[in-house]
Amino acid sequence: MSIKLNVIDLPKDDYTGGKSTLCPGCGHDQISTVIINSAWENGLKPEKIAKMSGIGCSSKTPAYFLGKSHGFNTVHGRMPAVTTGAAMGNRDLTFLAVSGDGDSASIGIGQFIHAVRRNLDMVYVLENNGVYGLTKGQYSATAVKGSKKKKGAVNKFQPIDLCKLAVNLGCTFVARSFSGSKKQLTALMKAAMSHKGFALIDVISPCVTFNNNDESLRSYTYVKDNDVELHAYDYIPTYSPIEGVEVPEGEFHDITLFDGSTLRLETIGSDHDPTDAVAAMAALHNAEMEDKHVTGLLYFDPDTSTAIEDQCLVETPLAEVSDDVMRPSASSLEVLNARFRGKD
Amino acid sequence: MPVERDDCIVIGVPMTKMARGLNPKLGRMIANMMYVGLLAEILGLDQGKLTKALAQQFKGKARAIELNLEAINLGRAFISENVDISDIPFRIEARDVDDDVFLIEGNEAVALGSHYGGVGLLSWYPITPSSSLAEALIAYIPEIRVDENGDHLCAVIQAEDELAAAGMVVGGGWAGSRATTATSGPGSSLMSECIGLAYFAEIPSVIWDINRTGPSTGLPTRTQQGDLTMLYEASHGDTAHPVLIPGNMEECFEFGWKAFDIAERLQTLVFGFSDLDLGMNRWACKGFEYPETPMDRGKVLRTQAELDAIENYGRYRDVDGDGIPYRTLPGSGLDPILYRGTGHDEDGIYSEKPEVYQALMMRLKRKMDNCRTWLPQPVLREEDEKEVGIIYFGSMENSIQEIDDILEDEIGRKVSQCRVRSLPLSPVVEQFIRDHETVIVLEINRDGQLYGILRRELPNDLIGRVHSAAYSDGLPPRARHYSELIKGVLKEVAE
Ligand SMILES: Cc1ncc(C[n+]2csc(CCOP(=O)(O)OP(=O)(O)O)c2C)c(N)n1
Ligand code: SF4
Ligand SMILES: [Mg+2]
Repeated sequence: MSIKLNVIDLPKDDYTGGKSTLCPGCGHDQISTVIINSAWENGLKPEKIAKMSGIGCSSKTPAYFLGKSHGFNTVHGRMPAVTTGAAMGNRDLTFLAVSGDGDSASIGIGQFIHAVRRNLDMVYVLENNGVYGLTKGQYSATAVKGSKKKKGAVNKFQPIDLCKLAVNLGCTFVARSFSGSKKQLTALMKAAMSHKGFALIDVISPCVTFNNNDESLRSYTYVKDNDVELHAYDYIPTYSPIEGVEVPEGEFHDITLFDGSTLRLETIGSDHDPTDAVAAMAALHNAEMEDKHVTGLLYFDPDTSTAIEDQCLVETPLAEVSDDVMRPSASSLEVLNARFRGKD
Repeated sequence: MPVERDDCIVIGVPMTKMARGLNPKLGRMIANMMYVGLLAEILGLDQGKLTKALAQQFKGKARAIELNLEAINLGRAFISENVDISDIPFRIEARDVDDDVFLIEGNEAVALGSHYGGVGLLSWYPITPSSSLAEALIAYIPEIRVDENGDHLCAVIQAEDELAAAGMVVGGGWAGSRATTATSGPGSSLMSECIGLAYFAEIPSVIWDINRTGPSTGLPTRTQQGDLTMLYEASHGDTAHPVLIPGNMEECFEFGWKAFDIAERLQTLVFGFSDLDLGMNRWACKGFEYPETPMDRGKVLRTQAELDAIENYGRYRDVDGDGIPYRTLPGSGLDPILYRGTGHDEDGIYSEKPEVYQALMMRLKRKMDNCRTWLPQPVLREEDEKEVGIIYFGSMENSIQEIDDILEDEIGRKVSQCRVRSLPLSPVVEQFIRDHETVIVLEINRDGQLYGILRRELPNDLIGRVHSAAYSDGLPPRARHYSELIKGVLKEVAE
């Protein structure tokens, strides 16, 4: 039997990782599978991927995918900063980050906001379960107001919607999905990997241990029944041109991504235009009013410059520039000494 | 109002009247220049120097120069006509100026040094007195850190806070570039968690702490050496970090580049320790010396062949026996691992095994112990008598000569000096203490922080001879305070 290879001739095995230690049925594991498939199908070079995470059950998952990529499981809420520094050091890496709702919406919200603001070129997968899984089930800041855990009190606080926040901050790729919607999530993940800039995918990812009673708005059954998809999705990579495909007019909307690949949105229901930030906010707001989750690509802006572009750095990753180029010349120091001495 | 003080020489001068006589409208403004003239005449200050200074100050404004010169002359004339200066025992004499010496701030020197260390990322959050370090570093980029296309060789990020600044430094070091940040005590406090991450995951990183008076927001525009212990032991659990302590401008520059060599060689976080006095005041500098050695990038494996040449490689395995493992960089495809701040074995795999953790912590300690002999070593000035030894560091260098002079005058004794230039302490410091009967540690803080470190690290038989002379009021050290403290210690010891 021949092993199936991707466009860069690698088997899927080259994209898998260690065995998961999460609770059986945890939504986070489903997301890891989607990450593996997407990276493999997109033909990303494993050695050029950097897996980044903070702390939480979600942040443990880089150990379970892409075993041939370097990664950094950093500290709680500080992954965006570490990623920013790493990107400045090596601009050739594809940064693939996972975080939790505690990691991103509480302790790390400042760093999340500023990474978005800088349009750091990275895929930011928010594995959102409405609780702190790792510390055993405390409410997170994305928990829905009025929701109740298996044990314990009702959550009294307004949730923070990181998609809304991101749209507001001009995030250049904002999507929401559900760990159980494998097809949609895969299309979005692949598109995010092809996007140049900060790509947020807020994935509702039920915590089967601490947040899976049916009245929880992030339980598996609730999301399955109350998920409004904006579009059906198809991701068409650069290497399979779309010219030949029959397109029934008016029913598709194609988005060209940075690397030339395409995200095809099949219009169902309302005509959501992902370049319209107001429409994105309205869709999020309306869904919230109806206790539903709106999923799909909410907002997209391919034109804003990235954090790296704004730096005007040399093309070669700084970590690979030779030492004698990084260190200014001896004559430049002579010039400075002479100037300080007033002898220039 | 007559001044009745016997320590003053009083000369009455009708300043306002004379100034108005010269120029009725601008009288008030030129009175100070008349004062310059009075003093110049009394002290014998060369008029050529004054004229030159005026020309510099009022570049090309002939009218202003003329008016000020007239004021100076009026002052001079008053003295020569009314005062017998042979009664006044003060004169200014020109000294032999070394043409090569110039004035510069410590922060600028560190910034330049960092560039000559090939810094690739500055990430910072503004805080006095460190901001001018970051700003100087940024200012030099267009001149010395661009390639032939004008593209930059150093990234700069004004971070959202110090937690982020430290995180970015760790990220930069992890990716294989040289990253730094500049801050002061409040910022170093915030960076604490990421400092532990750098220590435990062994990521080269450089942080400059320009000390201001703490605790809390403290006296933000005043100086202190109060962050030393915090830096040395920053973060939770068992940690220790090399601290480089320059005492003059040349060293600010030198330690600026050297910090990166040390961080990469040891694969750890290194602090530069300066303070407001050294950092923001202008001090004499003989010139900056180009690094005499190529960059030390430490044990980085960049090719498969290099990796294959290491027998039994593991990211955290001590194959050379010096406590320092080899590393590969992200993007290289060589031995990809998931770095972590959690417990890990020699291959970087998560582990909570007691023996694995304990062995790892002992290896980290070994790294730190081994560097004692090759970090910047203390500068000694030893007297033959070997009775009294003074240990000091950093900006105290600017007062030590005066302290020494006062002591010689007042107790008639010469003291030996040992200026500490890095932590962990060199064995040379221990030998210095062993060689002297009484050793006094001078520092600009309340609690005697270096003294505390010495007491913890010295062999028991030496602890008794070490004494503390610590004092801090926010101002730069005044020699008189310390000479009195030293005299107090010597008196106590004698009793
Ligand atoms: C500075 C700090 N504070 C607290 C913790 C404890 N802690 C670990 S994970 C976590 C919350 C994780 O929640 P989330 O990010 O939602 O991840 P999940 O486990 O739900 O996937 C907390 C509070 C920590 N590791 N570090
Ligand atoms: S506690 Fe919840 S989030 Fe954590 S692994 Fe288990 S199911 Fe997943
Ligand atoms: Mg969570």
